[in-house]
Amino acid sequence: MRGDPEAFGSLIDRHGLAARRAARAILRDEDDADDAVQEGMLAAWRAIERFDPARPFRPWLMRIVVNAALDARRRSKVRAAEPVAETLESGALGPDRMAEASLLRTRIDAGLAELPERQRIALVLFDAEGWGHADIAATLGVPEGTVRSYVFHARRAMRKSLGTLAEGMK
Amino acid sequence: MTMSPFDNQPDPELGRLLRERLTGPAPEAFLRRLKGAVAAERADQWDVLAGWARPRVLAAAIAAGFLLWLGAWFGVMSRTSEPGVTMASSLPAQAVVSAQPPAVDEIMLALREREPR
Repeated sequence: MRGDPEAFGSLIDRHGLAARRAARAILRDEDDADDAVQEGMLAAWRAIERFDPARPFRPWLMRIVVNAALDARRRSKVRAAEPVAETLESGALGPDRMAEASLLRTRIDAGLAELPERQRIALVLFDAEGWGHADIAATLGVPEGTVRSYVFHARRAMRKSLGTLAEGMK
Repeated sequence: MTMSPFDNQPDPELGRLLRERLTGPAPEAFLRRLKGAVAAERADQWDVLAGWARPRVLAAAIAAGFLLWLGAWFGVMSRTSEPGVTMASSLPAQAVVSAQPPAVDEIMLALREREPR
């Protein structure tokens, strides 16, 4: 892996999209998030010699990406946040369902926007990526119990934001 | 959606909604972009390394040449300080430049003069 771009490329294949989702949860701006992920991946590539193979790679990489996204967020705080581009597949839906899907996107965005940063990251890594509490704790640099608390509060807030709307999408 | 804040397992429905919302367009192109950026970074690193190495390799070659020359020079000097040569150098000049071999008395005299008193 060290110094081997092909090996690192396979790691990008494995973790790149999870990193993108985490960055978009932090930044909520498509271009800024993609730039932050790229910046984080390059930082990881440069720092790969310092990675301790005895430790898990995924939290190490994600921590770098998350930090890059948080730095980008600090830099762009003066700019107004643009809405996340619409990505849900809605072409096959009728007008009612499209309106419902649009409302769902709005609710998800609103729900995520209301969450504190770390709760948002924990929720995305836990529910969207299926990470365990330990890896999330290592990524965020907090105890596992804190991660459980983050997920608990984030889910409660998202449930409030989504209401019964998500069930209509099944 | 069976989203419970107390659930210790990931919620598949919420996870799916979040993934759909956050994955973004053209995921394959995005991964290619990341790999391209790493490849470009690596090429840059080699350029920097080559730029750094070139003058140093030259300096190392010059230093090695100098050391070789120094070693050869010391080798010559140590050979010239061998006893026989020293003895010859202490002989009277006419004994060395003369076509005739020096007389035994002259050699003995020269050796006695070199002995410590």
